[in-house]
Amino acid sequence: MNSILATPYGLSLLSILRIFTGLSLLQHGTAKILGFPAAPMFSNVQITSLTGVGGLIELVGGILFTIGLFTRPVAFILSGFTAVAYFLAHAGKSFFPLLNGGELAALYCFVFLYFVLAGAGPWSVDAIRERK
Amino acid sequence: MIPGTIWAPRILSVLRIVLGLILLQYGLAKLFGWPAVHMFENLKWLSLFGIAGMFELVGGVLLILGLFTRPVAFILSGEMAAAYFIEHLPHSFFPVQSEGDLAVALCFTFLYLSFAGGGPWSLDAMRSAGARTSR
Repeated sequence: MNSILATPYGLSLLSILRIFTGLSLLQHGTAKILGFPAAPMFSNVQITSLTGVGGLIELVGGILFTIGLFTRPVAFILSGFTAVAYFLAHAGKSFFPLLNGGELAALYCFVFLYFVLAGAGPWSVDAIRERK
Repeated sequence: MIPGTIWAPRILSVLRIVLGLILLQYGLAKLFGWPAVHMFENLKWLSLFGIAGMFELVGGVLLILGLFTRPVAFILSGEMAAAYFIEHLPHSFFPVQSEGDLAVALCFTFLYLSFAGGGPWSLDAMRSAGARTSR
């Protein structure tokens, strides 16, 4: 790894960022699929609808990403997923993410892309598996 | 680890630039009214939102350039934490309900940047490379 990430703090912070990103994604998944936390926008989402399938990806991806299992492939899929979410749900409304509400999708797209390359960091199931 | 060794720091720089652009929008919208957002109309520069806008404007520009990334990211991480607790947390514990997702995500991404630095595509990297060759 490069020198800036070789410091123990940098790598631990990478795992902390991963866990909070995963949890944030997970609540979008649970809000869509399980109705908790209840978000009025996501009441009556059909599992087979576009939003429902998105919710499934968020639910499963969020859990795997939070615990740090198969981080790189999961992050790759989620990066593509958030890119699609941005262009389907947000980019049509306005060019500026500030006006189309797509900042979070745009930000996550690049955060996930970074995790594809950087990996999960030391606090992850991936790291435990590697150690064995 | 093989593709990660070269490209992870580069994508870190890309992430830093995207973060800077996202943040810069907020600064511009709050202070100069462009892009025009209804919520930020007639904002006083010396109000809480106006001062936040200054942080976002200056911080956003510095992040895009990759200049003083670590201290700037540290300050912005604190700003986002404050934004979350002042503006969003009172509405609901869950960010998906309080619309604080972005503030939380930015807070932790900035915190990470303040430790990891700005990556190779940044003025910081050019400055340290220049310092090394001139020595």
